[in-house]
Amino acid sequence: MKRGAAFLMVLVLLLLPGMPRAEAGDPARGRRIYERLCWWCHGEDGFGDGPASEYLSPPPRDLTDGTYKFRSTPFDEFFPGDDDIFRVIKHGLAGTAMPGWGDVLDDDGIWDLVAFLKELAAMEPVGKASVEYGAQPRPGRESIERGRELFEDRCSECHGMRGRGDTSKRLRDDWGFTTWPRNLTKGWTFRAGSTPRDIFRRITTGIPGTQMPSFDDPTSRKRLDIGERWDVANYVASLNAPYKEPKGERLIRAVRVDTDLPETVDDVLWEKAPYTSLYTTAQLVEDERLYMPTIDSLSVKALYNQRELALLVEWDDPTKSVPGDRKARRIAGGEPFRDAMAVEFPVGTDPEEGLPYFGMGESNAPVSIWHWRGESATGPQEISLLYARGPGDTVERSAEDSGLFARGEYRDGTWRVVVKRPLATADPSRDVQFKAGGTVPVAFALWDGSNFDRGSKHVMTGWSWLRLEPEAGRGVFVWSAAVFVAVLVMEIIWMRSMKRG
Amino acid sequence: MRIPGPLQFALLTIAAYLVLKAPGLVVQAPVPSSLVTLYMFFAVVVILLAMTATEAGTERLFGPVRRLFAEPGRERTRYTVVFAVAAAAALITYANLRPSYEAPVLARTVHPAPPRTMDAYGRTFDLSTLENPLRRLEKDDPQRFEEYVRQGGTIYFRNCFFCHGPKLDGRGHLAKGLDPAPLPFAGTDTIAQLSESYLFWRIVKGGRGLPEESRPALSSMPAWEGYLKEDEVWKVILFLYEYTGNTPRRWKEEKG
Repeated sequence: MKRGAAFLMVLVLLLLPGMPRAEAGDPARGRRIYERLCWWCHGEDGFGDGPASEYLSPPPRDLTDGTYKFRSTPFDEFFPGDDDIFRVIKHGLAGTAMPGWGDVLDDDGIWDLVAFLKELAAMEPVGKASVEYGAQPRPGRESIERGRELFEDRCSECHGMRGRGDTSKRLRDDWGFTTWPRNLTKGWTFRAGSTPRDIFRRITTGIPGTQMPSFDDPTSRKRLDIGERWDVANYVASLNAPYKEPKGERLIRAVRVDTDLPETVDDVLWEKAPYTSLYTTAQLVEDERLYMPTIDSLSVKALYNQRELALLVEWDDPTKSVPGDRKARRIAGGEPFRDAMAVEFPVGTDPEEGLPYFGMGESNAPVSIWHWRGESATGPQEISLLYARGPGDTVERSAEDSGLFARGEYRDGTWRVVVKRPLATADPSRDVQFKAGGTVPVAFALWDGSNFDRGSKHVMTGWSWLRLEPEAGRGVFVWSAAVFVAVLVMEIIWMRSMKRG
Repeated sequence: MRIPGPLQFALLTIAAYLVLKAPGLVVQAPVPSSLVTLYMFFAVVVILLAMTATEAGTERLFGPVRRLFAEPGRERTRYTVVFAVAAAAALITYANLRPSYEAPVLARTVHPAPPRTMDAYGRTFDLSTLENPLRRLEKDDPQRFEEYVRQGGTIYFRNCFFCHGPKLDGRGHLAKGLDPAPLPFAGTDTIAQLSESYLFWRIVKGGRGLPEESRPALSSMPAWEGYLKEDEVWKVILFLYEYTGNTPRRWKEEKG
């Protein structure tokens, strides 16, 4: 009998966290939590107009009308389920300013908040708590292939043919804010999970308040049945490209080759070099600052031979920003600037002694910058060479004289730019010099012209290291063999002396 | 059964090595390899000293080795060991000489000592005696104090929270990839250990104002003297302490 009661207790405890308990929440206590933690972004009265709101994209939710983007209730229900609100508060929304509060509030506190938010938006109980999942098929090749065909037909207009969020039209939410369709190759930025089941739920419910529709809506021409939605979910999950997610590496390995270096982004030679992916952060140090970046990471490869070094810089950008182009202007909602990329190296100082400030160097620690810009409707791509001793002290030099070459290509939501230069130049005091086996600090900056990034409004990395990987050479093996023989000889001498002793 | 001395020595040495490597494998905070070499040297010396502290211990450690080389009929094991030792030496040489893929590590002082004085807002501040001029309101005028804390919070959420985070944990949504990472204020091990004048200096002068020992100056902290007024900085400082439930460190009380 006792064991039965204990078993029941365990069962209840196990089930509790998953059950909606907003009824148990106290809206008055929830309000007090809200007034302490939440109003800074969501506003005193919940209209999404707190002090921080004007700097945020996506903007903080307006909590007064009950529209919640990420939920599990079907499209024909207006309100989210209690556990949907609970989940967002507890775990946050990846890739946004909304953090998970689970380490600050206990579950009771979160249920209090849920109760308060439901009262705030005068929410009514939902009829259907969850979408129907049906039977989840195996994410096999056929399902993914069917999903690809459906995706290209129904989804690519906004998410792009390769799912990189390169939309063909300007998107705005119900409140008038510009929204960017998710880049589906970066699973770790999905707001509410990136498993096939999470994706299935999103396709089924849509994202209320935005142009992401429900594909379960029978009045829609684009409706998909349950099996088709699973196929699309499996396909979208298969788009995830883990190499793009920065792993905290700070070393870019330039691989040595004996042939000429590639001048195009598609050259098979690039397969010899590994990617290093880095987070890019918005420039927030000096005015004018960038608060709402559209680029969050980049990936780099490097190759060199006895004469030259080549970098392949790759980043996802939802738009090809061509000033003067009608389509680019329509998507950006104004005349865009050019997309741009810069590579920066310290010059004239010893990195072991300390690095220049990564934001364009300092008066006593200059940097050399390779600045590439995409094309405009009237002009071709350009590469320029800058010598900087701080943001206000920049000299433009001849890129041609130092042998700098660059060519970029935008395809399906991704920019890839090849930059190439001889290892050594005639001006070592103002140009970085590369040599086999050497390591030099390097930093990057990117501009999305359709986000109106220009000048100091850009994303950037801190210093990483570019290492021109030396060939192991014969020396290593000769030395290892010599040590082997030397140790062996010493051991034999020692054994002999032992025998004599 | 007791484990043989040489095996025990090997196990202890491996354990010491694993302890030194653990931070790198578990929490991605590797101990620099030069330090690992240094600590391993001391570890081996200490293990040897401990194991040979007594005659019996010495015999236990070296006895099996001596017997291996002295007793007849164990030639095969003997030559295997001799060969293995030479091979291990060759492998270590190879591992050290072959091209490495580690990024260089630059040492840096995280919390440098502040300068004695600081020039800002057209004045010179003596940082050793500087106090938050708004702090006294906590007792004198709690209502105004409360209002200033709220104003400080508003300033924080318009300028600082992108990096330092809405939970004041140093994990703001635009801080991914910043190295060094933004300082967390929550918890009892950062601002609770610092005086308000220290915070004032770090906020006003930012990453570019770090002294030489904190170079390379990779910090992305702006120098806020160009963006915030003096009283705004003090209000933010009030907010940082109030919101995290910390109290500033005060030199006077400690002296008294």
